[in-house]
Amino acid sequence: MLEARLEQAAVLKKVVDAIKDLVQDCNFDCNDSGIQLQAMDNSHVALVAMHLKTDAFSPYRCDRNIALGINLASLQKVLRAAQNDDLLTLKAEDAPDVLNLVFESAENDRIAEYDIKLMDIDQEHLGIPDTEYAATVTMPSSEFQRICRDLNALSESVSIEAAKEGIKFSCQGDIGSGAVTLRQNNNVEKPDLSTIIELNEPVGLTFSLKYLVNFCKASSLSNTVKLSLSAEVPLLIEYKMESGYVRFYLAPKIGDDE
Amino acid sequence: MAESPTKDAQSQDLDIPLSATFIPPSITRPLLSSSTSYTHHSPHPPILTSSDDRPPCILGVDEAGRGPVLGPMVYAVAYTPLNSSHFLKSHSFDDSKKLTASFRSQLFHSTCTPSHDLHTHVGWSCTLLSARDISSGMLRPNTVGAYNLNAQAHDTTARLIREVIESGVNVAEIYVDTVGVATSYQAKLQKQFPGAKVTVAKKADSLYPIVSAASVVAKVTRDAAIEVLAEMEQEEEEKVEEDPEANGEDQNEAEKVEPAEDGKQKGKRTWDKVVEMGSGYPGDDKTKKWLKSNMDPVFGFGNRAVRFSWRTVADMMDGKGANAVGVEWEEDVDDGDQRITGFFTSGDSVGAGNGSWYGVPVKADSF
Repeated sequence: MLEARLEQAAVLKKVVDAIKDLVQDCNFDCNDSGIQLQAMDNSHVALVAMHLKTDAFSPYRCDRNIALGINLASLQKVLRAAQNDDLLTLKAEDAPDVLNLVFESAENDRIAEYDIKLMDIDQEHLGIPDTEYAATVTMPSSEFQRICRDLNALSESVSIEAAKEGIKFSCQGDIGSGAVTLRQNNNVEKPDLSTIIELNEPVGLTFSLKYLVNFCKASSLSNTVKLSLSAEVPLLIEYKMESGYVRFYLAPKIGDDE
Repeated sequence: MAESPTKDAQSQDLDIPLSATFIPPSITRPLLSSSTSYTHHSPHPPILTSSDDRPPCILGVDEAGRGPVLGPMVYAVAYTPLNSSHFLKSHSFDDSKKLTASFRSQLFHSTCTPSHDLHTHVGWSCTLLSARDISSGMLRPNTVGAYNLNAQAHDTTARLIREVIESGVNVAEIYVDTVGVATSYQAKLQKQFPGAKVTVAKKADSLYPIVSAASVVAKVTRDAAIEVLAEMEQEEEEKVEEDPEANGEDQNEAEKVEPAEDGKQKGKRTWDKVVEMGSGYPGDDKTKKWLKSNMDPVFGFGNRAVRFSWRTVADMMDGKGANAVGVEWEEDVDDGDQRITGFFTSGDSVGAGNGSWYGVPVKADSF
């Protein structure tokens, strides 16, 4: 059986909010390393991988590997009933047909209990190879969100170019063009506001802004976001949590890279 | 209303056989077949061409087939010199809905017959907006903005009038029938045609004989178009359609016409000729039947006759009790979007036993 308690319900709330617009139904795979999820969007252009490690829970108990097939919209509905500070306990049998969620208020003795019906989801697991990326850029997640949102108003796609001195996001649209450049800067006092570029070689790729804007819904998970780029491989966007991560992969666009 | 002409009273001065359906010159089969919208202009009536001084004319505008789910929407104008307008009254032009189908047909036929005095005095033009063009206008994406039926109607009307004026007709007065608010539409048209006096009125087709003439042109053209379309669809759908009535159509049925006394929209069609398609109104049983038997469960309808933008069609495809096949539309893949599956390999073939490692999925029968 599975029994996993999160100190803060907010963690799961944010995870679900971050991916529910990309994926409708998916399996939460529970095993002794924690709870994992891997799913593609309907058009199979983007992939999301999530891992909540056992450290995120106290206690965490999972006797057998269980796949919890969940409709994310349903899960979100139930999670709305939880306060951010509530203790959240997930429980499931070994061959479950429901997932049991218990919300315990930190302040008073309120206990709320919900069951979500599970579904049988035939899901394809993709093997993601370890990649040595040409460029890895860490920047404030709010800044990345703002750039994507601003450029999305002009165009459907953005070209991301990483060089030694900075990272440049630029786009061409019907009404005009736009570009935002972030220079490498190390903010010692507030490290979260730094833009750090680790570069093996300069790289430039084009991506669909629609997806990037969608990924940015994960910004509440972390103050910083890490972009990893290499020519002709999917962009990796990682939001690190205290004990886990949410990663998005997006294939580069072909044809119109300049 | 009381002076609805009967077949007997009117038929003596008409020279076409009652049994034949009159296909007016405004029907062009190849264009109908290709779902193209088009405009037909009659030659100028001899009375206009014979005089050099371009006599001032009155022009009437009316439409037919706005509501139906099938067939084109027809806009027609008719024009005649101001001093000849009495002619029309003497030929019992009235609201086309108050005239019988055959009488309308005869009036229009006369107008197209060179020896007839109607032909000498009346010129006409009409535009057929195809079902495809109406629907694709109404269903334009939000980014462009829908081209609604009213806007299409107004633009078509204005274009028709402009073309008539540009062909050299001295239009002095314009009369338009409208279903919407008359005043704003009148102002709009007046602005576009400052040289003419524009009158937009509800029920103009029963008030002004020239509008009645236009309404006859529109209605007969529309009915003929429906009939021709039904034939075309019939030819193509022969394999699907197994209705024995379709071929054993009784010619006499065509003439089972009665003057519809009520000017109301509902039930005004009593014409039985087009057995297959009916009137094209969504409420018409024959139309319903036609739609039902002609729907492909996957592709729906051809775009020649059916207006996709109608609720009737959407409900048949997607509504409660719809018998169309459900289609799950994957999100549009933009040009240049590559699938992520092209980069990552399926775990089943590479990652040794990943699937089983994650445990057994919940079975459907466990619910």
